[in-house]
Amino acid sequence: MSYFAGIDIGSTAIKAAVVDDAGALVGTHIAPTGSSFHKNAMETFETLLARHGITRDAVKFITATGYGRKLFKEADDSISEITANAIGAWEAGKAFGGVRTIINIGGQDSKAIQIDVNGNVSNFAMNDKCAAGTGRFLDVAARNLEIDLEELGDYHFGGNGTPLTINSTCAVFAESEIIGLLAKGHGKEEIVAGIHYSIARRTVRLAKRVGIEDRVYFDGGPALNKGLVAALQDELGRELVIPQEPQTTTAFGAAMLARSQFLAEA
Amino acid sequence: MNTTPSEALAYNRSRQAREAETLLDRIQDGFPDNPQAMRYFYDLFRNVYCHGEPVKHEGTLVGTTCIHAPEELIYAFGATPVRLCNGSYHYDQIGADFMPAKSCPLVKATLGSLHAKAAVPNTAALELIVNPTTCDQKTKASAMIAAMGYQVHDLELPPAKESEEARLYWQRSVRRLAVRLRELTGRKLTRNNLKQAMARTARAQAAFRALHQLRKSAPALFLGKDAFLVTNAYFFDDLDRWTAAVEQLNAELLQRQQAGFQAAQKRAPRILFTGSPPIFPNLKLPLLIEEAGGVVVADETCSANRMLYDMTAVDEWLLNDMVDGLADRYLKPCTCPIFTRNDDRQRRLLQLASDFSVDGVVYQAFAGCQVYEMEHRSIADVLAAQDIPMLYVETDYSPDDMGQLSTRIEAFLESIKTRKRSKQ
Repeated sequence: MSYFAGIDIGSTAIKAAVVDDAGALVGTHIAPTGSSFHKNAMETFETLLARHGITRDAVKFITATGYGRKLFKEADDSISEITANAIGAWEAGKAFGGVRTIINIGGQDSKAIQIDVNGNVSNFAMNDKCAAGTGRFLDVAARNLEIDLEELGDYHFGGNGTPLTINSTCAVFAESEIIGLLAKGHGKEEIVAGIHYSIARRTVRLAKRVGIEDRVYFDGGPALNKGLVAALQDELGRELVIPQEPQTTTAFGAAMLARSQFLAEA
Repeated sequence: MNTTPSEALAYNRSRQAREAETLLDRIQDGFPDNPQAMRYFYDLFRNVYCHGEPVKHEGTLVGTTCIHAPEELIYAFGATPVRLCNGSYHYDQIGADFMPAKSCPLVKATLGSLHAKAAVPNTAALELIVNPTTCDQKTKASAMIAAMGYQVHDLELPPAKESEEARLYWQRSVRRLAVRLRELTGRKLTRNNLKQAMARTARAQAAFRALHQLRKSAPALFLGKDAFLVTNAYFFDDLDRWTAAVEQLNAELLQRQQAGFQAAQKRAPRILFTGSPPIFPNLKLPLLIEEAGGVVVADETCSANRMLYDMTAVDEWLLNDMVDGLADRYLKPCTCPIFTRNDDRQRRLLQLASDFSVDGVVYQAFAGCQVYEMEHRSIADVLAAQDIPMLYVETDYSPDDMGQLSTRIEAFLESIKTRKRSKQ
């Protein structure tokens, strides 16, 4: 049996995925990027192989993607995370009846991608420069509110009043806005919902720039946050397709590409 | 060099010099097959921008802030034009003292370099600056440049180019410039010296056109990063020396063509570059495209194609008619988005896309360069109708967004490759 791997070296987490000859997903593994990403990337990859009893030799092709892709010399090839994400979502989206638009919120950036009827990227947009409205922003907000990142979803649904308006999506300005709201005596629930809506508004603006078509796939770590998902669906006016493990779509896409590249060259 | 060693050392260590050096290193060392004839241009930029060597010119030095300043007229008076449009982030930062932070980095950098009075290239003093009133920001820059102690001539440009009124208005503006240049130089404009000036620029333009034609070759004979360097040298280099260097480059490229040489991979996406002009050392975007495996085969910008493609056509060899013919050359073919109607730009882009077998278009808009920002939708529509993919990039001179930009550019090139594969 031969296997093909995709490794997505993101700013916050390293995601690895392995597919088999038939293109079926064998397994995935996620680990924090940390400061020595190269060592951590190798460990993530090896852990994944060990868990599924796959030898290194059985992996015929590795495609790297994400922030650290070019420095990961163990890979056979590299691909930008936009293309890898599109391939992964297209493949994974088949189980949901097919997807044409992807919203991806990562640790440091957010993207909207439009896929054409053949599964190729037809248009995409990426946020500019700073980490406004990304996973990093949720991180900072949670810290300010002294709650765990995982709890944000519960808080979102816990409030009775309307969500507060948070105008800034810049992590630094939002921080002072959040502190200001706390000082005025507002509840954490309303603030959390406000944060989610502010990210959702910004993300929908980005998605509208590329054009929203058909089913929308939402992935990246923040897609685990049920509150953010609800806010995004509300702002978007449609339901989102969310994969079981939203962090690994891009790594899966890279693995699928590794497979097709290997087969094309063979 | 007539600077003292200590001054030279200080210059080498300046931010401007480092910026230029970093870029030149990337241009020279990052690519394996640089043409021999590019050596002239690499050395020129290193000497002028990294070592601060002075550029010597004949006669009075006249600065220009836009391609609309008719340089044949300046040459005819025995003066030399130097284009002051600046691409340095260092001067952009200095220029932010004069213009709102959100305004165009090109205008800010030009103001910054004029304010620093250490303008690169290091030339003799500018005796006059001709500032065409093109976009609002350049128009408003006039008074600020004058306040810095420079002599400024506002060259009034109409906001339209189709109407006969606009044409006559512009011809009168150009004649007024001739009067100003006569006062400045104490010389007379004659048929003979204007004819000679036109012949000199025509030879340069012919060399550029030959270079331009060579870029139709597929696979590419040389890269766009070098082409932009060549045209940027035209801003300040001696006209005849520049022309000779381009002619030499053309000869080498012709040899490459005959030898079947290729400077890029066969399937490297062929890119047409348009929008805000890449100006040394801000060749950020073209360089990122080629570092990602694309090749810039043509452009529609005022730092290259729009500056050098069109020649003056004179059919009546009387002085006044010649001046009018000259004025026409600077108005009629110009595809800058400052004009109210801009169907010409759309036509030009489609023409270039088909002539150069282009796979995609990269559209650069400097943040704050409103006309390009406003026009990008209409261009995107026109290209989409022809099934030509376009990447719109809003950026400035800061290096902060290079990581993000490289990802976006790679994804764009990847999507072009997939399109091509699925079409086959």
